[in-house]
Amino acid sequence: MEERPYRSASGAPIALRRRQHSASCRELAVRCPRLQLRSLSAVTSAVWLAAYGLFVLSENSMVLSAAIFITLIGLIIYLHFVKIDQESLLVIGSLGIQVTSSYASGKESTTFIEMGQVKDVVINEAIHMQKVIYYLCILLQDPGDPQGVSEVVPLFQSSKPRLDCLIEVYKSCQEILEQRKTAPQSS
Amino acid sequence: ENSPAPLPERAIYGFALFLGSWFGFMLYLIWAYVPETWLFSLGLTYWPQKYWAVALPAYLLVSIGIGYVLLFGINMMSTAPLNSTHTVTDNYAKKQQQKKFQEEAIPALRDIPISEVNRMFFLPEK
Repeated sequence: MEERPYRSASGAPIALRRRQHSASCRELAVRCPRLQLRSLSAVTSAVWLAAYGLFVLSENSMVLSAAIFITLIGLIIYLHFVKIDQESLLVIGSLGIQVTSSYASGKESTTFIEMGQVKDVVINEAIHMQKVIYYLCILLQDPGDPQGVSEVVPLFQSSKPRLDCLIEVYKSCQEILEQRKTAPQSS
Repeated sequence: ENSPAPLPERAIYGFALFLGSWFGFMLYLIWAYVPETWLFSLGLTYWPQKYWAVALPAYLLVSIGIGYVLLFGINMMSTAPLNSTHTVTDNYAKKQQQKKFQEEAIPALRDIPISEVNRMFFLPEK
C-alpha cells in the first residue's frame, strides 16, 4: 500500500493511494483537496456583507437572519451533494469494476460494472470548458458488435488528475485486465 | 476551373456592388437628414419614419454583440460531453474497411482504435 502526491488539472494537490488486495484485485483511490478555510470564510463574509448592505438599504432585519440561514443550509447542501472527498476504483479481475465517490459529509455513492461489459480502461483526451484534458474512462462493450463501444464512463471527474497520475492508474488496471485474455473463463 | 484569380466578370460585379453600396449609403443619408417637409414637397410621402434611421443601426450593433456571446454558447453546447462515444469514434471509423496488408507498400490510412493507441503510448515496450 502506498500513497503518492500528484496535482489535479487545475493545480490543486491530490494524493493517489494504491492497495493490492490480491493478485487479481487492486484498489486505487484519489483523495481530493479538502475544503479550504480561506475560501469558506471568503464566501461567508461576502454573503453576510451583501446581506448587511441589503439590511442598510431596506431596514428589514429579516434579511440578516435569512442570510445566516442561507449560509448554513448552503454549506450543508454543498458538503453533502457537491464536495467530493475521495474517488476510488476497485478492480477485481474476474468480477468487475467498482467506482466509489465519497462526499465530504460522509455519503458514498457506488457504481458497479461487471467484467463482461467492460471492453477496456483507457486514457482519453477531450475538450472540456475551453481546455483539453486527459481523463480515464471505462469503455463498455456493445453487445451486438464485438468491436464497438456502447458507452463511455468517465472516472475521477471531480479530482481530475493529471497525466502522470492517470498513467499509474492505467498501468495498474491494464495489468489486471490483461489477465482476462490469458485465462479465459466461462462468463 | 474554380480559381480565385481576378476575371473581367468579377471586376464588373465588384464595380456594380461598389456603385450600389454608395447609392444605398447616399439614400440612407438623405432619408435620415433631409427634413420631412422638403421630402413631402418633392412628392416622397410614403418613406418610413425617421425613427428607424437611428433604431436600425442600434439594433444591428446590439445583434452583433449578442452574436459573439451566442456563437460562444453554441460552440460550448456542440462540444461532445465527456461521457459520449463521439470522443472515441464516429460513423466513418465504425464503417471503415480493412485493407489487405501488402509487402513493401505504405500501410493504408485507417482509424486506430483508442485501446491500441493507449497501449502504444503508456505501456512500456518490453
